[in-house]
Amino acid sequence: MLVSGRRPRRTLHLHLLLWVTCAVLCAPVLYAMLAATQNNAQLVNFQLWPGDSLARNFEIVWHNRSLGQFMLNSTVMSLTIALGKTVTALLAGLAFVYFRFPGRWLLFFFVLVTLMMPTEISILALFRIVSGLGWADSLAGLTVPFLASATGAFLFRQHFASLPANLAEAAQLDGASPLQFLWRVLVPLSWNVIGALTVIQFLYGWNMYLWPLLLVSDQRDQVVQVGLATLQQAGQGQLYGPMMLGALIASIPPIVVFLVLQRSLMSGLSLPRDK
Amino acid sequence: MRRSERSRSPRTLAVALAVGVLVAACGGDNGDLGDGVTEVDVWIGFTDYRLDWTQERADEFSAAHADYQVNVQGYDSYEALFQATTLAAGQGDPPAVVQYFEVATQEARDAVAPSGDPLFASVEGALAGRTEVLGEPVVLDDVVAAARDYYTTDGEFSSMPWNTSSTLLYANGDLLDAAGVAEVPATWAEIEAACESLADLDEPPTHCITWPNHGWFFEQSIAQQGGLLAGNDNGRADRAEQVQLDSPEMLSWVEWWAELAENDHYVYTGTQRDWDGTKNAFAAEQVAFLLTSSGDATAVVQDGTDAGFPVEVAPMPYNHDVPYAGNLIGGATLWLIAGLDEVTEDGALAFLQFLNNPENAADWHRTTGYIPITESAVALLDDEGWFEENPYHRVANEQLAAADGSPAAQGALLGAFVGIRDVMTLAMEDVLVSGADPRSRFAEATEEAQALLDEYNSLYVG
Amino acid sequence: MPVYPVLLPLFAVAAVAGAMIGRAAWRFAGLPGYRGALIVGGAGAAGPLLTMVPLRACTFEPGRTALDYAVGVVAFAAGAGVAIAAAVWLGRALAVPGGVSRLDQGDRSGTFRTAAWLPLGLLLPTLAILALFLYWPLLETLRMSTHTVRLGAPRQPFACVDNYTRLLGPTLEWWLLLPALLLGVALLLGFVTRGGAEWPGSGALPRVRGWLTIATVLAAATALFGPAYRSVFVTTMILTSGTVVIGLAVGLAIAVLLSQPVRGRGIYRTLLIWPYAISPPIAGILFFVIFDPLSGIAGQVVETLTPWQLPNYRTDPSLARAVVILASVWKTLGFTILFYIAGLQNVSSEMLEAAHLDGANAWQRFRWFVVPALSPITFFLVVTNVTYAFFEVFGTINYLTRGGPSGATTDAMTSIVQVAQVQGSFGDGAARSMVLFAMVLAVTAWQFRSTGRRVSYSN
Repeated sequence: MLVSGRRPRRTLHLHLLLWVTCAVLCAPVLYAMLAATQNNAQLVNFQLWPGDSLARNFEIVWHNRSLGQFMLNSTVMSLTIALGKTVTALLAGLAFVYFRFPGRWLLFFFVLVTLMMPTEISILALFRIVSGLGWADSLAGLTVPFLASATGAFLFRQHFASLPANLAEAAQLDGASPLQFLWRVLVPLSWNVIGALTVIQFLYGWNMYLWPLLLVSDQRDQVVQVGLATLQQAGQGQLYGPMMLGALIASIPPIVVFLVLQRSLMSGLSLPRDK
Repeated sequence: MRRSERSRSPRTLAVALAVGVLVAACGGDNGDLGDGVTEVDVWIGFTDYRLDWTQERADEFSAAHADYQVNVQGYDSYEALFQATTLAAGQGDPPAVVQYFEVATQEARDAVAPSGDPLFASVEGALAGRTEVLGEPVVLDDVVAAARDYYTTDGEFSSMPWNTSSTLLYANGDLLDAAGVAEVPATWAEIEAACESLADLDEPPTHCITWPNHGWFFEQSIAQQGGLLAGNDNGRADRAEQVQLDSPEMLSWVEWWAELAENDHYVYTGTQRDWDGTKNAFAAEQVAFLLTSSGDATAVVQDGTDAGFPVEVAPMPYNHDVPYAGNLIGGATLWLIAGLDEVTEDGALAFLQFLNNPENAADWHRTTGYIPITESAVALLDDEGWFEENPYHRVANEQLAAADGSPAAQGALLGAFVGIRDVMTLAMEDVLVSGADPRSRFAEATEEAQALLDEYNSLYVG
Repeated sequence: MPVYPVLLPLFAVAAVAGAMIGRAAWRFAGLPGYRGALIVGGAGAAGPLLTMVPLRACTFEPGRTALDYAVGVVAFAAGAGVAIAAAVWLGRALAVPGGVSRLDQGDRSGTFRTAAWLPLGLLLPTLAILALFLYWPLLETLRMSTHTVRLGAPRQPFACVDNYTRLLGPTLEWWLLLPALLLGVALLLGFVTRGGAEWPGSGALPRVRGWLTIATVLAAATALFGPAYRSVFVTTMILTSGTVVIGLAVGLAIAVLLSQPVRGRGIYRTLLIWPYAISPPIAGILFFVIFDPLSGIAGQVVETLTPWQLPNYRTDPSLARAVVILASVWKTLGFTILFYIAGLQNVSSEMLEAAHLDGANAWQRFRWFVVPALSPITFFLVVTNVTYAFFEVFGTINYLTRGGPSGATTDAMTSIVQVAQVQGSFGDGAARSMVLFAMVLAVTAWQFRSTGRRVSYSN
């Protein structure tokens, strides 16, 4: 329609082209699904139908290499970050939009500037600071540094500013305190944004790799993204099947989240990339 | 807090979500286990069956000593353990016993607690001549010479060796027979000759030989040739202030290695420290020879049996042009934290003796392939007929016993050794992959290593 | 801070530069220029203290090398620059009637008029975390970069700028002179033809000039680094540009395909964009197995379909880079497609039909109408993908190649982690972090400069 003008007769070509594209893009994961069912011998022989080792691979991944524990750790960490960040962002948005106080512009600026400070730049210093607090190998160390962000605060600031101005005045006339106003009026009006932010922050937490790699050395506290390395350095030869199975399992939560919330994610994606 | 998180159950999940921050921030240390039971924390760098084995021994020890509870905690790697210990020491909260790998020996000597006092106490000093601790006979004085020599610093046997290995040559017996190689090669020249014969086979393996690009192999080869890696007699006479990565011994090793690769005899898996990839290549009969740790002997021989070929085990080949000085140990040793109260320290010392008593040392050897660490464990295994049944398990001990005891064969004590190993393997990768000139590349590497050592020494000396 | 004689002219230059900028800025705002000159000139003179005091002016000690001096001058200029920019921004806002309140562009007049502690309390979690875990670490990184720092070591001696000079080693190379010469020619041409008759192709001149400027800047930066860091910089540039250029081109092509009116568009779309949900380390694992020299399916496919054998990417530097780029393009493609689909929906179809009626063929319509209309989105995607390539690809690399072979995939982030984690040199790692920060700032500056100037908005 856009580029090719009006020539609807070419749909067969199009379908073919789209199918090939889909096949190419999905190939890595389809192959991973295949490999997850095979043992090393079947893999090396490039067997193109499913093998018989899925159960054994799962046994290795889930029990011998404690992927279950890793998944639980990742879940706790990601949920803590997602919920924590949403709460701090709501509070900051409320403060920025509905209050006037001395130095507001300075604090706003203080938050704004952090958009230009990627965490990764100062990750070594952060590591020394956090481990100096005794938070190495702890949930606190994994989550607390990420419980606030400029992106979240500005998202709610923008959203609240787009709401009718008289809401707050009405609430004040009713004698509602700011927090009651937040809870009873703003939150019900913001579920979409809250949902989008929480989902994006959950994915952000789930995908974290460098930080747990540096901070966590006790295997039992490890998250799945880093924990999968134990399958790569197995000590008894590479375990290809389990590696693929582990990668697939670790991708289930983000993919499910993505598929279920595709629509709201797409509107939420117009957020700038968060750190 | 660390304890409570280990058992993150769905219930703690909810709690963690609600008050995660607070709990984490205010959680206290692990308390005592009630009346009179002393906890001894032991941190080791294993997470596989070796951790299970150690935990079983700890449980046995705790059962025999009602006053003690030994907790063994596993870490992903020696490096991760090293980092965790440093951080815990900085917090003033280290365990009682820590496993450090051999090249971290100098860093262990130099490590300090926040107070500025040494982090570790000498095991020999803490034993103070006792022949038993809490009823466990002392075995420190029975440790085999190679391990004793390596870990003896300033005239004191400062740590308790545990998992100790050496480098061995593994050969595919079928391929050797086919190529008409009667004896497993013992020298570099014999390796080259065998590789030529193998290449002439009708169906030759894709390559002749492989081993991991790991710092340990450089150190082994330099020691064999009687060369020194570091100044002041390899850091044995006094603190090493010079490191040399382009000595004649290093260059002959690197050049021999590069030539093997150039002639397509040596295959590089492309990844540094690739223990698994090299082992896979040998098991898949892509190569006829493999150099790797004696600690893998059980596994490598088993791989061969599974794939249907006999595995011959022999000492690491040496440079025939120079006299042989000896091979080094590898592996790790157990260090005792300084400043423990007497009850805890005795518990830790007793556990160290228990872990290496003849029965346990022999079992550890049979389970893993690490050498039997004491003479009485060797004797015990001999009596059982173990070596007769599995002659290949004798090779590592014999190879280590053949060393001449010189500083070269003792191995280097060097600050920043872990980083220096990285400098070596990076340089070698440039030679193997990018065709860098060994001489100039290793001269460069010497400068890089010297800078690391200078930086290290500037922080710890004076 | 000791004051060396050589510092005095530098301070004078900074003050004069500040005064000139201030005068111009104030005049531009319709304010008295002398006031701006005073305020900003003062800032220019004081600003260098920001960097010189922590450095104790050590680079200007007698007997220092020329490289130390040069790094010192850069640090000096950076301090002055920050102070001048802040003074211009703040001073101008304060100088006009209304003062500070002009800065405070509230969205509401502030409905709840309570004591200040309440809003401050609401902001406290955010502010505390940002201060503790973003501002402090950044300052700490700066501090570490001028010290010798090792985990567990009892001391942290001051190291002046050694951690930086270790990375530098400027040399003059032909590949630096080439783009510089071409740029000179282009500038000359632009000057000669200015005001003169238009000649065929002259419309492309500004674009050529833009590309040549970027090439010259990159070549100059490459020539500046010494052996220890040059390959890291080059690798970062190759991985980044490969990921961005290939990713955007393929993404746009697929998005155009998806915008055609076919049945089942929604299903195709979902099938094509979901790899976005896969995380970078997972992409690394998948491609690690797919390209494994022993069992990888990629080698098998190449061997079956072509007469060639796929070399082992773990020993082939160029192939290793290609595989890393492939993995990150695959991982980011969904994101790119998503935004291009959204963008294509906004392209005016009337305009396209008008062009169609005017006889423009499909490619011409695409090139001269669709691509320009998409440029804001392209621009946004370039920035997000560059950031992705700087920071997130680390996860892919760490599983796929660990930075090898022979350093071919050791990019800036990988080198930071390697230096700190393996070699234990946190000071060196901090200096490398600041170099990466400079790259990020350069991209940001380019973003600011280009927004509104080069980007053409379609309505």
